Amino acid sequence: MKKYLEIAKIIFKSQLAWRFDIAVNVLFTIVKIIFAYLIWNNIFTDQQVIAGFTFHSMLSYYIINSFLSQLDMSDSVSNEISSKIRGGTFSKYMVIPVNIQGYFIAQSAGSSVFYLIFNFIAAIVWIFIFRIRFAFTAHPLYIIAALFMMLIGLLFMIQLNYFLGLLTLKFQDIGLFLMIKNNILLFITGSMIPLTLLPGIIVEVMRYLPFYYVTYLPSMLLIGRNGDEMLPGIILLSVWSVIFVIINKFTYQRLRVKYDGVGI
Amino acid sequence: MKNNLRFILALIRMKLSKMMVFRLTFFGVVFVDGTLFLMQLLMYQAIYSQVDTIGGWTRGEMIIFIGTFSLINALNMSIFFFGTYDIPNKIKNGDLDHYLTKPVNPLLRLTFESVDPGSIPLAIASIVLILYGVKNLEIKATPVRFIAYFLFVLLMTLLWYDLQMIVRTIPFFTISAANIARMGDTVLELCMKLPGTLFHGVYKVLFYLVLPYGIMATIPTQFIAGQLTPLGILYGIFIVVIFTGFTLWFWRFGLRHYKSASS
Repeated sequence: MKKYLEIAKIIFKSQLAWRFDIAVNVLFTIVKIIFAYLIWNNIFTDQQVIAGFTFHSMLSYYIINSFLSQLDMSDSVSNEISSKIRGGTFSKYMVIPVNIQGYFIAQSAGSSVFYLIFNFIAAIVWIFIFRIRFAFTAHPLYIIAALFMMLIGLLFMIQLNYFLGLLTLKFQDIGLFLMIKNNILLFITGSMIPLTLLPGIIVEVMRYLPFYYVTYLPSMLLIGRNGDEMLPGIILLSVWSVIFVIINKFTYQRLRVKYDGVGI
Repeated sequence: MKNNLRFILALIRMKLSKMMVFRLTFFGVVFVDGTLFLMQLLMYQAIYSQVDTIGGWTRGEMIIFIGTFSLINALNMSIFFFGTYDIPNKIKNGDLDHYLTKPVNPLLRLTFESVDPGSIPLAIASIVLILYGVKNLEIKATPVRFIAYFLFVLLMTLLWYDLQMIVRTIPFFTISAANIARMGDTVLELCMKLPGTLFHGVYKVLFYLVLPYGIMATIPTQFIAGQLTPLGILYGIFIVVIFTGFTLWFWRFGLRHYKSASS
């Protein structure tokens, strides 16, 4: 455990070298809020409530969802694995005395914790700039469940990206998969719109998928909604995470023999 | 002019024969951008299940808007995206020397050297989407209107090219323009999702004049829907002319500051 903590610490510190990039990253979170503000401000001029949301609770949803999405740094896992395999330098992970998946979890955790502070400040600034009457639950159980789900969600996303990264061993170039995945994820994690606006049957199907619980349900819980889905959500997301641990272990064992250390 | 055309055709032929080597990635752009616009379509479908209009636009206009952006994007990806994408690196590494020493216009070559027909299916799908939107709107669109609409689409594709080139010319003066390019992409992404009719006040000045990504799909959509005033038509043409003139001047100005390797 100590060595993984060291990895996370090193990554945390190394983020400081990219101060301008961090500032830009954080600044760009405003784009999501501008999008939500412009579209929903227009829609809410004719209606007071849409799918149980008021204008301010809708914007609160986007602020929270944006904050949670920004914490997910797992995208770099698949990119890094892919580029190392293609460059023939993946060997470094094979020889160090750590579990490779554990290494990437520690790495993502290090950058997520770093960004947590800045994204939190950004979220507060956006609330003031857009004069949002921020809707946040007063229910401690909802907050605890949302935080717990968020953690398992981040873990799941790292595992998913680790799996996709490993596919480079089979398909050589997974750049296309990753771009398509990112486009689809934007929608199915509720970053574009709250999933409750979708037809009931689609939402019902989505409840069986892990993406529903990564940022959408925690965001809904934090604005004080969907409390009845707390427990099933945590259980389902945990099951998906365990499934991916097994899939990843199997995939790595099976595909590692294809790695020749030469690069493509 | 004739020589330039022959040169462009030669570039396209060379690129196509190169692409045949990597057949699997040939239609990659279709899947990537196709999913992007599909998600956008689903998003608006979900919102329209709750409301009748957004910014005064019904479902039909929104479908045309998404189709138009997708079509402009497909044209951009097919014609010049891949050729101009790497310009900042070429400036940084001094690889631009290779283009400057050849007896052809370097900008012409960079623009057309990586033509990628992989996006043509996306363009076709976009046209089908636009036609569906027109049918949904129940408007009478004559062939002349369609031709004029397509000319507007081409103008807006040129505007997209201008904005991309402005960003990609900045590295002549700075070490890296990665974050400026990211800003451009982010604004583009925002304007891809939002019709220009939703912009007011400072947002309208920003996205209609300073970074006119906001007019790219909005003006052609308004045109085909019969909502564009003569002043709107003139404004669209005016912006494209101004930005194209500026882009060409800025490129030439940048070239004068090019210091070859490690500039």
